[in-house]
Amino acid sequence: MVHLIQVGAGSGGMPVLDMVCRDLRIGRVTLIEPDVYKAHNVVRHVFALSAVGRLKAEVAREWLLERRPELQVELLVCDLRDPAFVARIDDAVQTADLGVCAADNEETKYHWDALMRRFAKPWTLGEVLAGGIGGFVHRFLPGGPCYGCVASHLQRSVTVDNAKAPDYSQPGGPAPEVTIPASKAAIGVIAALHAQMTLKLLPGNPGPDEQPPFTSLLLTLERVPGVFDEAYRPYRFRVARSADCLICRADATPAPASAAELDAALDQALTRLGHA
Amino acid sequence: MGLLDSDEGKRRLLTVEIPIIERYNQERDPEYRIQVQRQGSGLALRFRLKPAHNVYELDVRLLSSYPTTPPETRLLTPIKPCPHLLEGQLLCMWRQGSSWATSRWDPARFTCVFAVQSAWRWLACYEVWHETGDWPVPDAK
Repeated sequence: MVHLIQVGAGSGGMPVLDMVCRDLRIGRVTLIEPDVYKAHNVVRHVFALSAVGRLKAEVAREWLLERRPELQVELLVCDLRDPAFVARIDDAVQTADLGVCAADNEETKYHWDALMRRFAKPWTLGEVLAGGIGGFVHRFLPGGPCYGCVASHLQRSVTVDNAKAPDYSQPGGPAPEVTIPASKAAIGVIAALHAQMTLKLLPGNPGPDEQPPFTSLLLTLERVPGVFDEAYRPYRFRVARSADCLICRADATPAPASAAELDAALDQALTRLGHA
Repeated sequence: MGLLDSDEGKRRLLTVEIPIIERYNQERDPEYRIQVQRQGSGLALRFRLKPAHNVYELDVRLLSSYPTTPPETRLLTPIKPCPHLLEGQLLCMWRQGSSWATSRWDPARFTCVFAVQSAWRWLACYEVWHETGDWPVPDAK
């Protein structure tokens, strides 16, 4: 029985959760999602209008149990970085076999990456590009590149859709690819790819050494001059772990092991630098 | 959860940021060294820079969300309003989506000392602008 842990059940995350959980190898799910379903979500989300005002996590659990009544679904209705939930999130990650990140902000992605590396869990990440012009799916395996390695390597020149208002203060005026929200269709295409790459990490599939030789898949959905030359074109990126990456290099650098030792070392260093 | 209240944040400080601040300080006279203080759930770095003939005092804030979000660099020494200076004397140094590799904050490659070096470059540009009216490097794109 595979235990899946996922952060995010928004318009991109919920279709991934649904598609992955149709696989009978998944027996247990932990979902981390703090948000309430709002009226403006309806146009892009799979949930019904009647669910507006309810917690997305609770609606997601009902959705899953209507299709898989035997599934064990645990909800953590909290922000991933909520200090009050650290122990419960750590416990859930420790017992999980596989992680899915469907968060739309960088802080959560980096924090999720740190959690997955700390407990040596494989995980996947989907990112719909602003305007729905395409999207990335990334696959992370223990010992491989971290999210910092991948994000830094790709040096993305397009912004990831985070469903926030476009920034009209950008010099040169608003560009179409950042002012048109991603459509449900575009989100669905990337979500399906995300689910597919996640399912390939389940037991019974080829091991890490036999997985397709790429870490990141980019699928363009629109032709955007200066960004993508053509629509519906896949690009595969094989990003290696960077020895210089400041995100995962800290894992290999000796540092105090216990929390108390870490605090003491930090206090000493800050005292030293406070009188530099 | 952030820089000073998570294991990842503390490890980043101890293994990456603090060693490089100490190396920066070793190479400098006492009045130009970086001083570090706790500021809420983040850190504040105070230092002076002298890119040409003038000395400037600066404050770099590493917010709770650092290094995912870039440091905020503020000039404490009053200067004339100029290009790339934001409200509250905040230096405009990072721009999401920029095609210039060093204008887009990258937590996997940059440290707080890179922000200090970027502030030095910014101030060197300011001194040229102050004398000539021209910002000597093109706008970040």
